[in-house]
Amino acid sequence: MRQIRIGRASGLLGFMPWGFGLYVALTTPSFAVPSFARQTGMACAACHTVFPELTPFGREFKLNGYVLDNIKQITGITTENRETLSLNSLPPISVMLQISYTHTGAALPDSAVQGALAKDGDVLFPQQASFFYAGKIADNLGAFMQLTYDGAADQFGFDNTDVRYARHVDIGSRPESQNHSLVLGITVNNNPTVQDVWNTTQAWGFPYSGSSTSPTPATSTKIDSGNGGLQQNAGGIGVYAWLNDCLYGEISVYSAVKLGGVHPLDSTQSQVLHGVAPYWRLAYEKRWDRNSLMVGAYGIDASIHPGNGLPLQGPPDKYRDVAGDLQYQFIGEDHIFTVLSTYIAEKQTLDASFANMLAANDDNTLDTFKLAGEYSYQRTIGGSLAFFSTTGSGDALLYAQAPVVGSLNNSPDSRGYIAEINYLPFLNTKLQLQYTVYDKFNGLGTNYDGAGRNASDNNTLYLLAWVNF
Amino acid sequence: MSSRFLAVALSTSLYLGALAHGADAPLQKTLVTCGTCHGINGRSVSPTFPNLAAQQAPYIELQLKAFKEQTRADPDAQAYMWGMASQLSDGMISQLADYFSKQPPAPGKLEKPALIAQGKRLFEEGVAAQGIPPCASCHGAHAEGMATFPRLAGQHSPYLLKQLLVIQSVLRTAPVMHGVVKNLTKDQMQAVVTYLESL
Ligand code: HEC
Ligand code: HEC
Repeated sequence: MRQIRIGRASGLLGFMPWGFGLYVALTTPSFAVPSFARQTGMACAACHTVFPELTPFGREFKLNGYVLDNIKQITGITTENRETLSLNSLPPISVMLQISYTHTGAALPDSAVQGALAKDGDVLFPQQASFFYAGKIADNLGAFMQLTYDGAADQFGFDNTDVRYARHVDIGSRPESQNHSLVLGITVNNNPTVQDVWNTTQAWGFPYSGSSTSPTPATSTKIDSGNGGLQQNAGGIGVYAWLNDCLYGEISVYSAVKLGGVHPLDSTQSQVLHGVAPYWRLAYEKRWDRNSLMVGAYGIDASIHPGNGLPLQGPPDKYRDVAGDLQYQFIGEDHIFTVLSTYIAEKQTLDASFANMLAANDDNTLDTFKLAGEYSYQRTIGGSLAFFSTTGSGDALLYAQAPVVGSLNNSPDSRGYIAEINYLPFLNTKLQLQYTVYDKFNGLGTNYDGAGRNASDNNTLYLLAWVNF
Repeated sequence: MSSRFLAVALSTSLYLGALAHGADAPLQKTLVTCGTCHGINGRSVSPTFPNLAAQQAPYIELQLKAFKEQTRADPDAQAYMWGMASQLSDGMISQLADYFSKQPPAPGKLEKPALIAQGKRLFEEGVAAQGIPPCASCHGAHAEGMATFPRLAGQHSPYLLKQLLVIQSVLRTAPVMHGVVKNLTKDQMQAVVTYLESL
């Protein structure tokens, strides 16, 4: 649900590279759900530095299945004293509202009248409104479920969902001498990386929110694509282990799950997973004093039918993403620093697209690099600076020339910076000013689309009011 | 059936088997939760979270009840511990207190010897001119505590400093301590907590 079609643009632009080009992928607005606070009786600060970024305790809370509760439970037991029910006395419901204003460096072309321009400066009220069920379902079983109304698309939809079962496993040591801990869990979710806890990956990664209407680069690596990729286009189940609060391992498998459109899935759908896509994740976290450092790796092997007019048969396009990531946090009484980074290398074997003249090369590569630094003073005022880059092999069909969304030199290369200032008058309310600067957009800095648009014309000023209650 | 399928089926059943044998005893379960912040052995990593290891059991009980009744009301008590303590039964509170009091204490951290010497003097002798009694008279010669007088030895110094400040500003009510810390300056606090962490 975090992505909208530039419906108005597509009429004018006629041909655009399939899939990606049709979409402006919204950067992921994410959660900090007050129902978790209601359930645990703890302030947001226990789990978040500044929402939605998690503290070490927030990570534990999630990995333990969102079940920690400190409110009265409605319980049921069998005669053998086995618990059959443990329900929060109030349902863990929350609401999130985002209102935004977007202004781009230069106005976009009008969607219907050739040569005219669209209004620049776009208010979305709301950009997004979500309802959450976030909390415990039963002993060891918890859920994070989001239903979202998307203002730009004017529709309601099923958003990020992660249902998990987790428990501590006794690995032999008695409590008195315990220095080992093992959490085993199962997650069922609809967006690869939504289950992750370090804020370095797509679903909950930086930037936590962004404009839903400004142009974004033509492509991104699959695991990082959010809505253009697998977010809510996939459903999966995974198992994970969390050992001694430091070592994390997970394997999940995803298959095609599409909401809406024709079912069973057929050629009218686009980007349909073929078979199952394995996703894997390893992370090592070290905590000392007020610091924590995580070094990790993750990846996915996804075979995808482009669909969108092509039957879901024959050899699919294959994407293999292998990524490394890093998170550093310092959580002081007054000062909080975070560094987040990821590097994703993708190998594409585009058998389907190549055969159907959607890609000029059978094999392509694409790499993503992101680095963000964040600071917050007393969880009230803060800022972030980030660098992002996409580089990859050129392809005359994938990155064809087209106004705004295309590439004159058929290159996916994009690069830029994001600066952000945040003010949180209350722990559950964020006012944000964000500025995104592109030095390179779809391959070039100037006249990148061959229609005279420069990368800097896509620079975006974005104001957001984000409330959770 | 392929060997790959067999391997997957086998490891899945092992995994589910392990899951089904999760640790369920109520004390154990609660300890695991407390442990995510305070350390399962009561020795925490971040100084936001006090060490509980070797703390006096009666003091732990008293504090948990104060969190539960919301009478200990400094900001972090509200943010973290009001929720955590709200559903603890008296029985569970005494089991937790007993468990943490029996864990070996955190080792002392030796830093800034000059400050330590100054803090030691204040701890042992007080400052008569400011009307500050010797801390040792209540907290014990080695700050090991006694009954409802808390152990302070080896505690994280930023945590102790924060407590002295919130006790002084009466955000945390601790009747016996209010008179003691009334005239304590921030520098004196810093010295004494540096000494206490070194023990
Ligand atoms: C989310 C983190 C968190 C969890 C979980 C947690 N605590 Fe705490 N605890 C804290 C913080 C923070 C403080 C310090 C509060 C303050 O500054 O007033 C504290 C203080 C305490 C104190 C007072 C210590 C002292 O020296 O005065 C006790 C006792 C305590 N906790 C026991 C527990 C027990 C028992 C549990 C499990 C039922 C638990 N805590 C779970 C964060 C946590
Ligand atoms: C008259 C007895 C007495 C004296 C003297 C005394 N204290 Fe205390 N102190 C207490 C008691 C009792 C408590 C527990 C308060 C409560 O129950 O909340 C306490 C609590 C504390 C705490 C909070 C500990 C925690 O784990 O949260 C600190 C820190 C402390 N004292 C430091 C000092 C220092 C430093 C001095 C000397 C300057 C001192 N105390 C002198 C009785 C005393």
